[in-house]
This record gives sequence, structure tokens and C-alpha cells, in this order.
Amino acid sequence: MSSLEIIDLKTHFPTPDGHVRAVDTITLSIMENETFGVIGETGCGKTVLGLSVMRLLPPTATIAGKIRYAGRNLLEVSEAEMRRVRGEEIAMILQNPTTSLNPVIRVGEQIAEAIRLHQGLNKRDAKKKAVEMLDAVKIPSPAERANEYPHEFSGGMKQRVMIAMGLACDPALIIADEPTKGLDVTIKAQIVELIQKVTEKKAMLLITHDLGVARELCDRIALMYAGELVEYAQIKEIFENPLHPYTRGFLGSLPDQGLVPIPGISPSLIELPDGCRFHPRCKYTTDVCKQKHPEMIEVAEGHFVRCFHA
Amino acid sequence: MLEVNGLTKHFSSGILQKQHVKAVDGVSFRIKAGTTLGLVGESGCGKTTIGRLIMRLIEPTDGQVLFDDIDLLTLKKRELRKIRPRMQMIFQDPDSSLDPRMTIGTSIAEPLKVHGIVPKHERSQKIRELIKTVGLSPEHVNRYPYQLSGGQNQRVVLARILAMNPDIIIADEPTSSLDVSVQAQILNLMKDLQKKFNHTYLFITHDLDVVRIMADRIAVMYLGKLVEIGETHDVFGYAKHPYTQALLSAATRMKPGAERKKQTLLKGETPGPIDMPSGCRFHTRCPRKKNRCMIEEPELVEIKGGHHVACHFI
Ligand SMILES: Nc1ncnc2c1ncn2[C@@H]1O[C@H](COP(=O)(O)OP(=O)(O)OP(=O)(O)O)[C@@H](O)[C@H]1O
Ligand SMILES: Nc1ncnc2c1ncn2[C@@H]1O[C@H](COP(=O)(O)OP(=O)(O)OP(=O)(O)O)[C@@H](O)[C@H]1O
Ligand SMILES: [Mg+2]
Ligand SMILES: [Mg+2]
Repeated sequence: MSSLEIIDLKTHFPTPDGHVRAVDTITLSIMENETFGVIGETGCGKTVLGLSVMRLLPPTATIAGKIRYAGRNLLEVSEAEMRRVRGEEIAMILQNPTTSLNPVIRVGEQIAEAIRLHQGLNKRDAKKKAVEMLDAVKIPSPAERANEYPHEFSGGMKQRVMIAMGLACDPALIIADEPTKGLDVTIKAQIVELIQKVTEKKAMLLITHDLGVARELCDRIALMYAGELVEYAQIKEIFENPLHPYTRGFLGSLPDQGLVPIPGISPSLIELPDGCRFHPRCKYTTDVCKQKHPEMIEVAEGHFVRCFHA
Repeated sequence: MLEVNGLTKHFSSGILQKQHVKAVDGVSFRIKAGTTLGLVGESGCGKTTIGRLIMRLIEPTDGQVLFDDIDLLTLKKRELRKIRPRMQMIFQDPDSSLDPRMTIGTSIAEPLKVHGIVPKHERSQKIRELIKTVGLSPEHVNRYPYQLSGGQNQRVVLARILAMNPDIIIADEPTSSLDVSVQAQILNLMKDLQKKFNHTYLFITHDLDVVRIMADRIAVMYLGKLVEIGETHDVFGYAKHPYTQALLSAATRMKPGAERKKQTLLKGETPGPIDMPSGCRFHTRCPRKKNRCMIEEPELVEIKGGHHVACHFI
């Protein structure tokens, strides 16, 4: 059964320079127990997608479509109900730890507060659990360090505090936005194992630039480009048989392949290219690509691609 | 030329200010002008602190930083201000190094204005140029940081630094928020600019593939100390310190294309910088540990031209 179902989601931001079509249009569903990865170009709308599900967008944003979770459309529930959903049912590990942590509250207290709010533990037990969580994310001397403030933590330590907070409340669905950013390889591997264990019976939407982490954690993975998904399939299939030219270019620009970026520049989200959004950068472009917007087609079982030539 | 000698920073922390976090403990290295030193090491081992010490954003407990033979740590405020534009740091966390109340354009214009680098009437042209160089477009200029994505902000920070064209750039995870394709663009850009302007980089990163491409030399750090330093080729090809070796093998495991089999990860927990192990700091996790390691701290010794390792058993 699916846990989260996103249907025809459009999230736009009006700005003085025009309408930014950050998410335009996304349909996807995540099964219970499944980790679904979203990767793609910086600025293509991944974070906005996550924030749309959480309804944590700035008030200027306009959202259309449906976000189905536990039998209701999250875009229609009251703000009070949504506050309960956040943390209790769905937690998001935000991309930026420094601006998400409160600088004047001790790290341990911040985690304990989140736990207390959603799990009804008393103060002492919540504090104890907070230290356990710091230990779980490999912060050395967790009991002492729980008493420190965020600025006393290194970048990667703050990042791990975000993970601790996200996992502490034991939500059924986790949206993790770049959870392993800024972690060294050994700690990253340990954190990946932790996330794997914790999310075994949960659904997760994982946004990441780290293909190694995606490969370890995801069941299925989607490539996103200019506000929409362009390809998705089982993880193995994407790595072994990538079909969309964007996906191929993406895999080809990994640092150990030399430094070969996809040619051309990211499209404007205000004036999206006509036809296929990737056509100005694609070496297989033909006339149809310039004129028509390709639909997602299932080319093999469970393997979907948005390309006329796939 | 940038030279760091015996650089040390201990933070006192905890409620009673009694615990001492030995964030950086006697670190020395040199970076030749126009070259890149890569700095790698476990999260929390002191990399950012080294950067902040060199920039003199925090005062060291001990040590020396020489920039073209000028001792930065004894400079008066006024002299320091003169030298500032020549040294810049790209901070690890882009969002908090941008002023949330300033548009991107204003943010980039600010250093141009403060340091009188570009005359007023040429400024908006220059901003547009810089924005383009880092792969952003004019539609981003009038937005605030919260209206951009993580990776877009990271490139705004870079554009701001490039506006000043400093001699030394301390780049702390400068591409951590970028996808691999844009990362490749930005790394190419940094290399081109280095060639053109003879920039000196201290390049801090967790991505070993990136550092291999970017750095001429690599320094590996563990709990506040350097454990190995040498030419990139030597450190990757002939890693001698057990920590460096563990790091390299963990990296292979996390590679997207790698065989999906478990490799032995570094065992044990990272000791806290508060209760530092005696002797060699790595001994609690070292597969080659002997009695001597628990008592005596190894010095960095040169094993081959320019390749130094701090281990009793190499
Ligand atoms: N409040 C806003 N107003 C206008 N545009 C916005 C706003 N927030 C985001 N955007 C734009 O929407 C697009 C999607 O942003 P988002 O943060 O989702 O990108 P992302 O895919 O998460 O990128 P990254 O990998 O860099 O984090 C970006 O181009 C960004 O500039
Ligand atoms: N202002 C401070 N007060 C107290 N302790 C601090 C302070 N700044 C850093 N530390 C501590 O010093 C140590 C080194 O921190 P630093 O930020 O240099 O690590 P890092 O190597 O950059 O790690 P990361 O890769 O996670 O960014 C950490 O244990 C950190 O908690
Ligand atoms: Mg994002
Ligand atoms: Mg750091």
C-alpha cells in the first residue's frame, strides 16, 4: 500500500520578475516501507517538493494538486491538524541545520523538546532519549555535548543533530533533505546504517546529491529536472540502464569520471523551455523535442521515462 | 605563500567552562602560492577551526600564521583590515553566511563597494557577470537568500568571494550543496581562476574524489592533529597512516558504482576531543595498535620527499 501519494502537484512563487514554477508538475507515490530517492540539479525544486508535503512554505507560495497521506489530502486539512501531523506522523530533516537550530537553546534541550512535544515523555526521560539519539548519530561524549549550544558544534555535528531530531519522534514517514551533507565517509557510512535500520518499517522520501548514499538507501529513485520528474525506476535499473539523456549526463559528471558537466545552463523556472525542458542541453534533440512536452512513459516494468527517444 | 606553525585552539565549554575541547592541537603546514592543499578528516576533527584561525575570526591558543612572511596573528586591527581583501573564506554553511535581509545582488555588490574594487557605474554589469560565472541567472539577482535553493546560495557565496579576487581562498566544503554536474562546473571554474590569478587554496572537503582532482597536496587530520601530509599522488597511492587507509577504504565502499558489499569500517567510536586518548590519538581504533601507541604520541616524520606520517609503525 502506498504511504504518500502526490498527485499533479504544482508549487509556484510569484516574484516581481515573474512566476517561479518550482514544482511543475509532480506525481509520485511512495509505498509503506519504501525509500524513494529524488536527485537532480540544484534549484530544480526538490526542497520545495518536500516543504510542500509538510506545508512549510512561505505564504507567497501557491500550491495546487493533491497530497494524499493516511486517507486525507494534506493540502486541505486545518493548520492545527497539520501541526500535529508534522513530527508525529511525518518528520522532515531540513537541508540547512544552522538556520533550523535555535542558537540560544542547548542542543540536548532542543531534541528533548521535540521528543516531549510528540511523544508525551516527561522532562527527564526526554532528556535521556535526546542523549541516546546524539549517541546514535555518533556525537562523541554525548551527555556532555548535549549541554552545548549549536555554535559549539562543527558543521557535520549540527547536521547529525538534525538527523537525531528527525528520527527521535518516530514518525511513519520521513522526508530527509540532504541528510548526509558535510559528513566524512566513515561517519556517513555509520549514519547510513542507522537510517537504514530506523526506516526499515517506514516510508522515506530522500532528497540527496550523494549518489552513493542514494544507492545504499533507496528502493526506487527519481531524477528531477526543472520542476518535474524525468525518469524513475528501481535503483539498480537507474544505475545500470539509465535512459533519459539528463540521467546519463548526470551519472557521467561524477567526479571520478573527470569533471565533465552537462553542457549548457540550468533553465529559468520563470520561462521554462518549450517542448521538452531538457532539449536546449540535449544532444539528441529533434524537432518534436522542441515542440511537444513529452509524457512519462513506462518503457519497462516500473521504469518510467519522459523522453521521445527513450 | 601561506605558512601555519604549531597552530592550536582549545575551546573551554560546558556549564563550568571547565572542559577543554582541543579542537586544533599543534598543526603545521605550508601552501605554496598558486597551489592547493586539500584538508580532509572526520567530522569535528578541527578543519573549520583551522580556517577560522587563519582568517583570525577567532584567536588561537598558540601558534603562528604567516602570509608572505607577515605574521597575521600579531597584526594590529588596522593592518589586518588592509590585508583582509587578499584572504577570504568560503564558509561551510552558505545560508548563514549571507545576510537574510539583503538581496543577492546587494550581497555581491557589498564587497565591491566596501573595498572600492569596481567603480559604481560598472557595478551592476560586474554583478551580472559574476552571477553568470557561477551558473546563476539575472532572475536571481533581486531575490533574498530564502528565495533561493541551498545550492544556489552556495554559489552566491562563491560569487561574492570571486568579486574580491583574493590571493588566498579558504574553501570549506564549497560544493557540498551542489549536484554532481554543477559541482563539476564550479570546480572547473575554481581551477581556471587559480591558473589565471595564481590563487592559493586551502580546500576543505569530505569528498575524496573531489580533493583528488583539486589538490596538489593533501593533509589528513584526526582529532585536532595532522596524521599524514604529502603530494596527492602519494597520499592516495601510498597512504601510510592507518587512519588514512581506513578513510580511503570507506570511500570506496560508498561509491555509487561500487560492489554492494560490506567492507570493514573503522571500528569503535570517535573519542571526544574532551577526553583525548593518551599517546597516539588514533590508538583506540587502530588495527595496528601496540603498547607504545598508548603511551607515546608519534611525531610527523618525513618518509619520502614531502610525505610525512605520524605513526610509530610505518
Ligand atoms: N520563496 C521563493 N520565491 C521564489 N523562488 C523560490 C522560492 N523558494 C525557492 N525558489 C526557487 O525555486 C526553485 C526550487 O528551489 P529548491 O530549494 O526546491 O531547489 P532544490 O532542488 O532543493 O535545490 P538544491 O539542490 O540546491 O537544494 C529554485 O530555482 C529557487 O530559486
Ligand atoms: N565556538 C566553539 N566552542 C566550543 N567548541 C567548538 C567551537 N567551535 C568548534 N568547536 C569544537 O571544536 C571541534 C572542531 O570543530 P570544527 O568545526 O573545526 O570541525 P570540522 O573538522 O570542521 O568538522 P565538520 O567536518 O563536521 O565541519 C568540534 O569538536 C567542535 O565541537
Ligand atoms: Mg534543496
Ligand atoms: Mg567544518
